[in-house]
Amino acid sequence: MLKIKNYNNPILKHISFGLEENENLIILGSNGAGKSTLAKVLCGITPSNEVSINGINLNKFTNKERTKLINYIPAKLEIFDEYISLDEYLNLSRLHSLLEPKNMLKLLDIHKLKEKPCQQLSSGEQQLTMLGTAVLHNAKITIFDEPTANLDPKKSRDVYFLLKSNIFQSKIIITHDLNLAYRLGYKVLYIDEGKIVFFDTSEKFFTESNLNDFFGLSVKKIEDEIMVNL
Amino acid sequence: MRYFTFLLALVIIISAPFFGQVPIDFNNLSNPETVDYKLFWDIRLPRVIVAFFAGAILALGGLLFQSLFKNPMGTPYTLGVASGSTLGVAFAIVFGFPSMVSLFGFFGALFTVIVLFTLTVKLKSYETNALLLVGIALAFFYNAALMILFYLSDESQSFEIIRFTMGSVDVVGLEKTLPIFFSSIALLLLAHLYKKELKLLLTSNNYAYLKGVDVKKVNTILLVAVSVAVGVCVSLTGPIGFVGLIIPHIVKSIYKKSAEQLILPIFFYGGVFLVISDLISRNIGVNTDLPIGIITAFLGGPFFIYLIIRRR
Repeated sequence: MLKIKNYNNPILKHISFGLEENENLIILGSNGAGKSTLAKVLCGITPSNEVSINGINLNKFTNKERTKLINYIPAKLEIFDEYISLDEYLNLSRLHSLLEPKNMLKLLDIHKLKEKPCQQLSSGEQQLTMLGTAVLHNAKITIFDEPTANLDPKKSRDVYFLLKSNIFQSKIIITHDLNLAYRLGYKVLYIDEGKIVFFDTSEKFFTESNLNDFFGLSVKKIEDEIMVNL
Repeated sequence: MRYFTFLLALVIIISAPFFGQVPIDFNNLSNPETVDYKLFWDIRLPRVIVAFFAGAILALGGLLFQSLFKNPMGTPYTLGVASGSTLGVAFAIVFGFPSMVSLFGFFGALFTVIVLFTLTVKLKSYETNALLLVGIALAFFYNAALMILFYLSDESQSFEIIRFTMGSVDVVGLEKTLPIFFSSIALLLLAHLYKKELKLLLTSNNYAYLKGVDVKKVNTILLVAVSVAVGVCVSLTGPIGFVGLIIPHIVKSIYKKSAEQLILPIFFYGGVFLVISDLISRNIGVNTDLPIGIITAFLGGPFFIYLIIRRR
């Protein structure tokens, strides 16, 4: 369904891969490897000619059609106006979902923050808010950039279950949380210095030898958990 | 409180044409033979109308520039659009196109926006301070060009340019108020038409894009519209500073709402601010008519410094 063919820019080199209908993907790679850059190309924020959805070049869709197909949730909430409240922000984001902003407030347990300006939310609250906007936008493919980076363990767990549920259609998740990646069990794409060095199933990725190749001594697998080796 | 402020502002606007150094007799207002009639309908009323709509354009233009360039200091003045317009007007005065002063002012503004726009595309982001620096550089450049024009001009032209740069809402005849009236209403309607897009752009350009906004198109339409309106305004009144900067900030800090919900209040209070400034300029001394730009800068300068200090 989603396809990118031989994309090059100063950061990314020879990027080609495809995702099938309803397939999900985990993107891994060290800091600065080009994961977010890739995400911006896939969703069209960085214009290119190499991305297509259902065989049609991403540039060929109207703006409205495109919103039905792809959405990107950045790692940090970007908001210029200091008075846009959480509730207003969720309302703005509701495009193709049957759910309403008030359902989201309840689901994410952020109801009491409703009137608060987004700029004044903590980074964890902002992260949850952005997740809520992803549900309300309800694009066919949603790209999440480190969706659990700022969350406490309980909220991380909540988000895991939200991602695991069928509330999103197709997901591409950029993360450093190997345990999350492992648990979700989606196909894995590993980027190193702008190049794709691994693209296959979760089972094939999370083997002892692979983990050793990609992460060296910094990661270890204990029973059924991937741990950072401290 | 807001309601009270609104009513007070309304009273000030309505009563503004009646105040001045020469008192007006109400009974003569419907008698075209009297001096009072001419004073009221040809001088005082046009002046208040121009002050109101000029203030409205400058304030709303400021809000839109701040929102689209994502910079609290981005106004048509800080980014050099008004200087461009001033230069155009000075050019028309010196090279003998007195009938096309407005047209030159307008093209000066438009030219500046094209420069700013090209540079923002090159800088690949609207959200940098680089744009402000560009605005400052442009202002220096325009100032130098203005000096050349001064050098080339004769005495009466120099005086005309100096008087113009001080800003004035002095017009004679109601028909002269029509261009500024229509351009301000057009700008207001356009801002309302793009309210939804504006709100999305107030978060970030990327977010607006992902929600289906044609970012480039909306930015272009609104920035050009502001420049046209500011061009019309500056060519008529001269550069009147600080309105576009302080009115959006004050109204925002009172209403505490996102910018796109404040289009109408900012339009209105921008107008009120200039009407009051003009009232002061007309009544402050005996037999003087202080240029309005001086009043707004005197009120605006200290306030702006206060804003900077408070932000810390």
